[in-house]
Amino acid sequence: MSAAPAEMKEHAEANAKWLDAHYDPVANLYTFSPCIALADLQGDGESKLVVGDLGTGLCSMKLKVYRGTSLMSENTLLDLPTGLVSFHMDQHEPRTPAIAVASGPFIYVYKNLRPYFKFTLPSLEVNPLEQEVWSQAKEDMIDPMSLKEMLEGIRDKADIPLSVRSLKFLILDPKEMEAFVNLHKQQPIRRQTVITCISTLKKNMADEDAVSCLVIGTESKDVYILDPEAFTILSKMSLPSAPTLMDVTGQFDVEFRITVACRNGNIYVLRRESPKPKYCIELTSHPVGLVRVGKNVVVGCAQETLQGYTQKGKKLWTVYLPAPITAMGLMDHHSRGFQAVLVGLANSEVHLYRDKNLISTIKTPDVITSICFGRYGREEGTLIMTTKGGGLMVKILKRTAVFEDRDMAPGPPLAQSIRLNVPKKTKLYVDQTMRERENAVAMHRAFQMDLSRLRLAVARAYVKALESSLTPVSASLSDPLKMNAVVQGLGPSFKLTLNIQNTAVCRPVMNLAVSFLYDEALYSMRNAFFQIPLLVPGLNYPINTFVECLTDKGISDIIKVFVLREGKSAPLLTAHINMPVSEGLALN
Amino acid sequence: MEVPMDPLFLAWSYFRRRKFQQCSEVCAKILEDTPYDQAAWSLKTRALTEMVYIDEVDVDQEGIAEMMLDESSIAQVARPGTSLRLPGTSHGGGPTPAVRPMTHSGRPMTGFVRPSTQSGRPGTMEQAIKTPRTAHTARPVTSASGRFVRLGTASMLTNPEGPFINLSRLNLAKYAQKPNLSKTLFEYIFHHENDVKNALDLAALATEHAQFKDWWWKVQLGKCYYRLGLHREAEKQFRSALNHQEFVDTYLYLAKVYQRLDQPITALNLFKQGLDYFPGEVTLLTGIARIHEEMNNIPSATEYYKDVLKQDNTHVEAIACIGSNHFYTDQPEIALRFYRRLLQMGVYNCQLYNNLGLCCFYAQQYDMTLSSFERALSLVASDEELADVWYNLGHVAVGIGELTLAYQCFKLALANNNDHAEAYNNLAVLELRKGRIEQAKAFLQTAASLAPHMYEPHFNLSTLSDTLGDLQSSYMAAQKSEDAFPEHVDTQQILKNLRQHFSVL
Repeated sequence: MSAAPAEMKEHAEANAKWLDAHYDPVANLYTFSPCIALADLQGDGESKLVVGDLGTGLCSMKLKVYRGTSLMSENTLLDLPTGLVSFHMDQHEPRTPAIAVASGPFIYVYKNLRPYFKFTLPSLEVNPLEQEVWSQAKEDMIDPMSLKEMLEGIRDKADIPLSVRSLKFLILDPKEMEAFVNLHKQQPIRRQTVITCISTLKKNMADEDAVSCLVIGTESKDVYILDPEAFTILSKMSLPSAPTLMDVTGQFDVEFRITVACRNGNIYVLRRESPKPKYCIELTSHPVGLVRVGKNVVVGCAQETLQGYTQKGKKLWTVYLPAPITAMGLMDHHSRGFQAVLVGLANSEVHLYRDKNLISTIKTPDVITSICFGRYGREEGTLIMTTKGGGLMVKILKRTAVFEDRDMAPGPPLAQSIRLNVPKKTKLYVDQTMRERENAVAMHRAFQMDLSRLRLAVARAYVKALESSLTPVSASLSDPLKMNAVVQGLGPSFKLTLNIQNTAVCRPVMNLAVSFLYDEALYSMRNAFFQIPLLVPGLNYPINTFVECLTDKGISDIIKVFVLREGKSAPLLTAHINMPVSEGLALN
Repeated sequence: MEVPMDPLFLAWSYFRRRKFQQCSEVCAKILEDTPYDQAAWSLKTRALTEMVYIDEVDVDQEGIAEMMLDESSIAQVARPGTSLRLPGTSHGGGPTPAVRPMTHSGRPMTGFVRPSTQSGRPGTMEQAIKTPRTAHTARPVTSASGRFVRLGTASMLTNPEGPFINLSRLNLAKYAQKPNLSKTLFEYIFHHENDVKNALDLAALATEHAQFKDWWWKVQLGKCYYRLGLHREAEKQFRSALNHQEFVDTYLYLAKVYQRLDQPITALNLFKQGLDYFPGEVTLLTGIARIHEEMNNIPSATEYYKDVLKQDNTHVEAIACIGSNHFYTDQPEIALRFYRRLLQMGVYNCQLYNNLGLCCFYAQQYDMTLSSFERALSLVASDEELADVWYNLGHVAVGIGELTLAYQCFKLALANNNDHAEAYNNLAVLELRKGRIEQAKAFLQTAASLAPHMYEPHFNLSTLSDTLGDLQSSYMAAQKSEDAFPEHVDTQQILKNLRQHFSVL
């Protein structure tokens, strides 16, 4: 019952920040964050959504462009896209960006949504032994079986891996080998790598619409920077492992940084003029998302954590997430100067983190597979998400939305950081502690001596009290009793109530009597001696008696009550009752 | 040859040297010779009055009858901050009862015992009569009896041959015509004979004779009305007297009337008005501070006490109150300074050494702690004081981990004062540590019945019953604890747990 209002509240809280602009659960759009981009393709001031659709598997890979809530155009792609970026190739007016789609070893460049250029990665060096074996096969000098044996030998020993053709050949059934060799032996052997990630890097200006180079990471553990107009390789850098995620900042001609998350679980930082990585961040698990916020790098890991690092690889913080990460993106609101990290989770939530603080949560109807924030249409703060089920969701950030910089996640409460109002230690206190420090030995001795004297004094007084049974609590183990007396009335007649209780665990007490000692000139009692019934343990026995005050002088005295045991002269308990002044007589 | 001094001059001289007994004897001798000597008669009345004179401004104790049979109260549930009767309405942000102990009335312990701090306002008639009515804590039936009776007994006991003036045979109308005699006669009737009705008659006649222009008679009329409980009439007289003559005493009397009418805000305004005429007047400032203190607004009370000290740096009440406030706000070293100042001023009693010992202990000046308590023990005047010293020694023993010593000290506190609820409570905790559950329970019940205003025994009983599995008693005790101290977090916690438990069952 209590969960429902909380959920509603959360929902209302998310609603307070985001407008639901569009949701099409059957948009038939299957993609990942690298294959989604927002670009003003026609130069008309309206941003479009460009999506590299992975299709349903092997076919129907498409380049789709959305405008508003409708699909604007659709181009068929030849292969699965691995990344999609929009970039400005040249200085021509109008400034319309081009789209580069990376798939396999190629980059397809589209301008005005028309195919414009196809870039192919340079082919790799082929193993000379392999080349020779195939040339022998071409001249039919060896049969397929010996070809297979020789290729296997090369595969096991050689430094340079086999080409795709040889590898394909090796997995074939012996029956099919003949045909395969006949089909392919005429072509020269080529070894080709594939693109794993793609990004852009401004050439020499930092403007929004400046000319950008393409930066690509390949399966062959290389990073290439391509010239935007001629598509020649401007720079090549190599990494210890194959890159999977990439983030680029800076300008090619000035200084740049390429942060690359690699398949070996490390993050490398590449800089201008250094063919080898400058810094290395070793993660404890595989990176699944990489976002740069300002000068820090936020990495989503497969262990359901989000980690923050500085540019130089120093770890800043770790946040534990409730579910695995499915998508990550940067939320960069230029006009507000607001930057945060969007994290799509497998439990159908999108969390918004600023540094390590969770500042907002969006619930989504399905698991998010890609996420992108930016200008869409004419609206600057738009959040675009695609879901696992092929849906497209567009949310608009409200202009009134305010993100508080506090943590919504459970953890140390906010109150922990509030300073308590502890009174300041005075100078006097400091002086006294100084005195204590300087004269510690003397003070300790004085205290110990006083304490011994006090113990003696207390012991004397205590023994005296015990001997005369002055206490209202009996100390003897055989009759643990307790008594207290209450006087009621205004006078001259008073009611005395003695509350007697047996505090033993389970033994009753009997044969007890009560007697009173008082000044007979001042008071008179109806009976100053009587028996007490058997006392059951744990119960309170109120015993009432009446006292008459005889004086009219406004004087009062003490009445002593003794609890006695039959056959013993010393009382078990004594109580002193300070009688109040009798006002009944004095008033007359 | 010895020349005898003029007897009247001799009597006058005795009077000025405050040897009232000799003065009255000499006057009696003169009056034997010349029964109509007005000077001697007047001097004797003054001497007899001075013997029993108490300052009417300070002494005030609300009796049971005034409190329970109160006709002038308008709202039973006053708004917070406007009444003296709601002790719980703390708005000053002072320390909670967990830090600063409460008096019987549910007010934080003050640094200075006054009639009004001692007496609380019990909720019911039964509670009013039942509270342990010892000679020290008992509340008089009415303010007309009680202390005035006790103080007035001097007149009953010292004149065995009969009163000096037989009031019933006095022609009040005649004396009212003579201003030189009437004032002393009035004071004699009011203070010595404690006969308010005759005093009122005389004052009424005298003010008529003075054509309602003498402010002194109006003040006396007001005093009489106040004694008789006619507060509105008293207010009228004091107001009228103030119109004739601004006078500090009149302000104090009028403020007393307003406090009795439970109008502390009006009283405060009146004091401030008085301060406009008499800036820096100590008694007015003290009055303001006392009202703030009674309304649980400790911080502003402290501010006013500081103002008092600026005017009069030997004001014992102000020093003591500021000292105790510092002690309870975790600054015992400053409290120590204030108490030392009292010592330097010549206040030399058990309570002061007791406080000094506690301050030394909490300010970590261990070498002086126990010697102060020793001094306090040697200065003890009554069993109650002795019990308090033993109780505090018990606290010190608990602080240094000497539980056996603490046990003995608390027992001794109980031996000297059977109604020491705090000692019962602490003793119960010590018994519980020893594992004697039945004893602990009995002590806690006693403490709870002796001091229903304390939350500690209720809370301890509640936790004890809770661990024993007696949830019903635990719940009842926790509710009482909540009544005594609503903000106590642990009580709230235990209540919450119990409610949850009950609803689950």
